[in-house]
Amino acid sequence: MATHKAFTQEWLDAWKQKIAGSQEYKEIAKEWEGSVGLICNADPSKSIPNPVYLFTDYWHGDVRDFLVCDEAKVQTAKFIMTGDYARWKQVAKKELDATKALMQGKLKLKGDLTYVVRNVKTINKVIDLLTEVQTVWPDDV
Amino acid sequence: MQNGYAGKFLQVDLTGGVCSSFTIQEERLKKFIGGSSLAASLYLERFNLDADPLSAENPLMLMNGPLVGSGFPGSSRFAMAAKSPQTGIWGEAACGGNFGPELKRAGYDGIVITGKSPHPVILSITNNSAEISSAAYCWGKDIYETTDILKAPDKNIKVLAIGPAGENRVIFSAIANDKAHFIGRTGLGAVMGSKNLKAITARGNQAPGKANEEKYKEIFKAAIAEIKNSAFAESLHLMGSDAAMDLGMMTGDVPIKNWTVGEDFELSAKLSGPTLTETYLTKAHACSNCPVACKRVVAVKDGPFRTEEGPGPEYETCCTFGTMIMNSDLAAVIKANELCNRYGMDTISAGATIAVVMELYEKGIISLEAADHLDLAWGNMEAVMALLGKIARREGFGDILARGSVSAATHFGAGALDSVAHVKGLDLPMHDPRGFHGMGLAYMMSNRGACHLQHAAMGMEQGMVSWPQLFEMKEDYDGKTSQGKAQLVFDSENYGILGNSLSLCHYLLYCLKPETVRDAFNAITGFDFGFKDLLACGARDWTLKRGINNLLGITVKDDVLPKKILTVLTEGAAEGSVPDMKLLRDEYYAIRGLTTEGVVSKEKLLELGLPELKEKLYP
Repeated sequence: MATHKAFTQEWLDAWKQKIAGSQEYKEIAKEWEGSVGLICNADPSKSIPNPVYLFTDYWHGDVRDFLVCDEAKVQTAKFIMTGDYARWKQVAKKELDATKALMQGKLKLKGDLTYVVRNVKTINKVIDLLTEVQTVWPDDV
Repeated sequence: MQNGYAGKFLQVDLTGGVCSSFTIQEERLKKFIGGSSLAASLYLERFNLDADPLSAENPLMLMNGPLVGSGFPGSSRFAMAAKSPQTGIWGEAACGGNFGPELKRAGYDGIVITGKSPHPVILSITNNSAEISSAAYCWGKDIYETTDILKAPDKNIKVLAIGPAGENRVIFSAIANDKAHFIGRTGLGAVMGSKNLKAITARGNQAPGKANEEKYKEIFKAAIAEIKNSAFAESLHLMGSDAAMDLGMMTGDVPIKNWTVGEDFELSAKLSGPTLTETYLTKAHACSNCPVACKRVVAVKDGPFRTEEGPGPEYETCCTFGTMIMNSDLAAVIKANELCNRYGMDTISAGATIAVVMELYEKGIISLEAADHLDLAWGNMEAVMALLGKIARREGFGDILARGSVSAATHFGAGALDSVAHVKGLDLPMHDPRGFHGMGLAYMMSNRGACHLQHAAMGMEQGMVSWPQLFEMKEDYDGKTSQGKAQLVFDSENYGILGNSLSLCHYLLYCLKPETVRDAFNAITGFDFGFKDLLACGARDWTLKRGINNLLGITVKDDVLPKKILTVLTEGAAEGSVPDMKLLRDEYYAIRGLTTEGVVSKEKLLELGLPELKEKLYP
């Protein structure tokens, strides 16, 4: 299976493909509307010299744009989740549940929390599918 | 009032109609801090543990902690305690609201009520004095009516009242502060009713002082910033405690159909916090000095369950009158909540008891005739509303249920007890230990019977908190593992109990850094406690109450989970998982210093500075 370097466009494309190919996701996410921006804070010690901005867009069980982008683009997302590299890596590897990370303040959410809580199953499925992407992490290289 | 404490406690003898006051030395306050911990130390020292819970001899105690009245976020809570009529062991409950701060403004850290009035009375406390007067004009009235009557002369009067259920000694009856905040668990409303005490009112104007005002101001600012930064606090503000429903269904936390079904997302979606917010919420409501405002105010404008604007249901109630009895109508949950509020009944035990009889009805153990011709089919909310009234008034079939789920099931026989999920006689709260084994152990070992608030196991095991500065914690716990959970529960008890002795809301305990809690406590009291001291107080509290329960007959035979929880679910996140009761208990006993019989060891009693308890346990 192909491996992809985390936070690259190829990695995002592989993730998008996993989501688009999941019938279970389509069913769970049929009510979800809107984009999610992901921000990974810079951490030079982990080979993340600058913040990483990712834009992911979901619409009623379908996936739309999945882009490595700039700060301006990420700020247009309906929801924005921000965290340190180590946290994102834990979440992507399912070592840390995203909802727990939010509650503990390890990830920050900007956006309608009520909507997120209502759709927590969708969020967990998206992350489950990310774990299926063979990922090379910058600090593991 | 310079150090968080008012400096005196009110003593009320209802038999003689006499009110007086007493003081407690600082050394004792340093050992037990306040709240239910202080109540337990007084109970052991002064009272006959063998007294019947509904007799004049059983004291009813109300205790503040030092944070109460300080204005610190979440510090409005107070505890009440007595030997429980529901369990026959140590009983306690705590609630927020505004009575605790007002009592302190009136000059008292707590109240110890003994005896029994020959006729219904009200205890009125105003600025360092108290008087007992007739309650003839409100006896028989429900809690909302009683509260309105007692606040009529001055809306700033704070009220604690029982309803018809407490008057009639329903063993899971509750005590309400200003209609919206409940001393719900362990049946303390019945203890109040047994004393012919309809209500307590408080009014005061003395501002409690702090040992270090300047330091406190800094800590207060830090606390507010932490709360503003907390997604947990935000979720509580937006959706109340019922924010837990959606996530709980996903993780296997939510009980369904009297603990027999593992998953039902359609049901949870209709009963969840977001749904409540979008449909019936009229506004959020806060306890005194709380910026979170998790309480719900709701109204159902039309339909069969029309409800005037008033206090709304918590997560637990959305389960007991929702998922547990297969009701998906949130309006009906709101109505059932209002009826329990008015009658004065714990919504957990009331709903859990009804879930049990619905199961027994389905199994044919209870007939339509035995149920006073109420069709107890799952989700029949008309029958539920009728049944709540019959329980509160102790009419017919309702009288059997008013004795509680264990007694009712025993009455019906034929294996009916297997339908009851309880520990030590207290119905389980609405968190399924099959999804979270640590919670199972916490239920087993909680000193008031199955409880989710005598510890912080839920916050730790479900990952709502991270407190590496207090003790070793994993980044993420597997709920469906028993191994190693004893340490988690032990730690979570020692810190979580502090919520009840400091009088700090558990939600705020979850939102705030432990450093902020410690520093606020020290700035207010002038003490110099480190984490180790605070955790020792938590351990002492747990051990003291366990020792009291040992004296009341509690041993290893009582530290068990019910058959419901030892039965596997065949679907959902907790599928196939049951707590390993023996492993959990054995590991826990070793850490907690209990003998194999479940009795606190002599060594542990001496280590924690409880020599009086040692004398009684090992005469």
